[in-house]
Amino acid sequence: MAPSELTFGIVGSGGDGVLTAGNLLVQSAARDGLYCFMVKSFGPQIRGGESSCRIRVSDEQVLSQGDKLDVLAAFNWNDVVRFQTEIRLTDDAVVLVDEAEEGEPPEAVEGRRIVKVPISAISQEQIGAVRSKNMVMIGVLAEACHLPIEGVRRSVEKKLGRKGPDVVAKNLAAIEAGRSYAKENLADVPIATLEYEPSEPKILMTGNEAVAYGAIYAGCRFYAGYPITPATEILQYLAREMPRFGGVVVQAEDEISAMGMVIGASFAGKKAMTATSGPGMSLKTEGIGLACLAEIPSVIVNVQRAGPSTGIPTKTEQADLQQAIYGTHGDAPRVVVAPSDVEDCFDVTVESFYIAEKYQIPVIILSDQFVGQRIESVNRDGLLSVSGFTAVNKRRKPHRDELDDYKRFKDTPSGVSPMTWPGIEGGQYATAGIVHDENGDPSSVMEVHWKMAGKRSRKFEDISKELQFIRHYGPEDAEIGLIGWGSSKGAIKESVLRANAEGYKVQAVIPQIIYPLPQEKIAAFLAPLKKLVVCEVSFSGQFLHYLRSLLDLPKETYSVSRPGGMPLAIAEIYDRLMEIM
Amino acid sequence: MVFKVPDYKSHLKPIWCPGCGNYGVLNAIRKALAELQVPPWDVATISGIGCSSRLPGYMNTYSFNTVHGRVIPIASGVKIARPDVTVLAVGGDGDGFAIGGNHFPHAARRNVDITYIVMDNNIYGLTKGQTSPTTDLDMRTISSPYGSIEAPVRPLALAFAGQASFIAQGYSSDIPHLTNLIAEGIKHPGFAFVLVKSPCITYGGKAQIDHMKSMVRYLGDEHDPTNRDHAFHVTEEAGAYPLGIIYKEIRPTYTERVRDLQMRASPPTDGIPLQVEDLLDNFLPE
Repeated sequence: MAPSELTFGIVGSGGDGVLTAGNLLVQSAARDGLYCFMVKSFGPQIRGGESSCRIRVSDEQVLSQGDKLDVLAAFNWNDVVRFQTEIRLTDDAVVLVDEAEEGEPPEAVEGRRIVKVPISAISQEQIGAVRSKNMVMIGVLAEACHLPIEGVRRSVEKKLGRKGPDVVAKNLAAIEAGRSYAKENLADVPIATLEYEPSEPKILMTGNEAVAYGAIYAGCRFYAGYPITPATEILQYLAREMPRFGGVVVQAEDEISAMGMVIGASFAGKKAMTATSGPGMSLKTEGIGLACLAEIPSVIVNVQRAGPSTGIPTKTEQADLQQAIYGTHGDAPRVVVAPSDVEDCFDVTVESFYIAEKYQIPVIILSDQFVGQRIESVNRDGLLSVSGFTAVNKRRKPHRDELDDYKRFKDTPSGVSPMTWPGIEGGQYATAGIVHDENGDPSSVMEVHWKMAGKRSRKFEDISKELQFIRHYGPEDAEIGLIGWGSSKGAIKESVLRANAEGYKVQAVIPQIIYPLPQEKIAAFLAPLKKLVVCEVSFSGQFLHYLRSLLDLPKETYSVSRPGGMPLAIAEIYDRLMEIM
Repeated sequence: MVFKVPDYKSHLKPIWCPGCGNYGVLNAIRKALAELQVPPWDVATISGIGCSSRLPGYMNTYSFNTVHGRVIPIASGVKIARPDVTVLAVGGDGDGFAIGGNHFPHAARRNVDITYIVMDNNIYGLTKGQTSPTTDLDMRTISSPYGSIEAPVRPLALAFAGQASFIAQGYSSDIPHLTNLIAEGIKHPGFAFVLVKSPCITYGGKAQIDHMKSMVRYLGDEHDPTNRDHAFHVTEEAGAYPLGIIYKEIRPTYTERVRDLQMRASPPTDGIPLQVEDLLDNFLPE
């Protein structure tokens, strides 16, 4: 049986309760075992202003945000206009709009079936206040599209319970009023519906929560950060949960200090992490260089937003790639990994601590607003059965005999040297951000610099051997290939599957470790290709340039690259694919 | 095991100029640790960049000469992560009050239990003699050839503003006195700030040494370091460098507050410890 799925959007102004409605419907769907994917988008205002959400629910794993909306619920036309570049509707989409809106329908909904629903009037007349209109809308949507409603009722009871039984009753009544209206008036409207059998509840997480949870799971017990959109939820989650496991969360006075504290905590023997977004990353670059030179295990999360400078704090982009790989003065080896979805945020974080601790190197997690702030259903068992290399490791304490003539930066074949920490008798050493010899003694001797630079970079040999995970889709002998990274995975994967289903032979790869890139595997992917499309949310095509610097790409290499603001849509990739066929 | 002063000495010989005030501070730090019998491997000595920031390399401790201005964040990270370690943060006036100026008041208000020893020579020595944030107005240096046009910062007053719970001033030429201040700073539960007048023989020369000598005034028994108003008044006295423990108060350290917070965050669970996996239940829909 074909999967049953529905993609719908809700648009309105700040006071309309758009996100509350979206959250309630997603919670309810997850409770019935449906897979969910919810992306929010809003204006820059702290309160008020326009807001929207796009929700995709299905009885099968949801791969991306979906392409076009089957149903749009609008509280007014103005806000639809504000989001018109983000709203694409299927040809037979149904648009539900508050009857109180008297203006002309905007271009975005042209040619679609528009159904006026008196949600403000119902709310005012039956509930006694117009502000319950989002609950009426929930009722209408749930009834018309067969969305699960039981979870909504339970959430309302639980979340509004402390405001008293009257408030709960009013909200439940508003939902029922919406349902009754839909039952009586919308039965004949040909609107997309969801047909499914309830199953075990799914857990719902944002990517930022998955990173934060992954850090606790990996044994991180020290976090320092500074509030910054869209990464702040990591700080908030850890501030609440980390102390329950004996950990410490410090809200530092600035981004530089947060990075410094992480370096100090790790020098002292603890697994430590910080998270930020672009502007904070620029400030942390100083500390990342120190962690590279002093070989301090550390995990740094960058939840990318549109840049440069302040950019667009609330919107996604993938244009911090070159900063992550090359940012810092000097040759400063670090590892860069990128999560491709919410579940992967967990995996990648556990993996980052593994790499950081084992190889004594800073690891940068390149997340972004799209994956960091969206809500996705996650398979609980799947989450905890992380693949082999993401095992939780402990920092290796040197044996006693390694402390005779102890050299903290011993030039070993692997480049990894025994590392002590305060409290270990006989393991004292001095280190510095100054070039130092195997003892850690400062040196300006050129030969020492050459030797130690080589030692630090040699770690890449083992890292490249051990960590090569890439995601692959489609037939391996296909002559047309797509490559992308991070949160673009969903749209790329879905484009390939769609092309395959249409009979086109296309394959795709998404590396999880961006630096050092698993070159052999990517070269194997490139080998049969006649045409390649590099997909990324970057105006200048940073990933394409990076690939070109390492590999021979097909003569016919194309690019889907544009600035951020919204993630790549399936259509953007699929249409390009069809053009080059 | 009894620890002696040489036990805190590394194999490196200081590269400071002969006659530099920092030798006295280095001696006083080693003596204070020996006096307190802290095992060298339980000590972390952290610095930023500058002449005085070379100091950690001369200590047989866990020593980290980090980057310019970041001594306090890194030292704070060590202490917060490992409260059992004795953490010394050291550096100069430029490192602490210019490039790293934003960190000082924050570590002070958090009351992180570290001892921050600033060797104040009123000059940037390592880069060969530019004005520092504590250089006097009208002072000529190679970056202020017509005289400095900026009023100097007052580090002791800054420490008060940041709510430092231990504020002391020493003089690099009086090692026994300084040793005692540093030992008291290490013993003090909380952020201890020890400002040390430490002349620069190369860019301050004999004139600076003579000036410092003429300015220092030992605080007598009549000084009550627990009287905040009086203590602040002492730091404001023009024409004098008050020497001794200027101010001291006992209030919960950052680590004590963290432990209290951890208790409050973890309500009793009938003896069953919370498992990391349990957190996933919070992500289940209602």
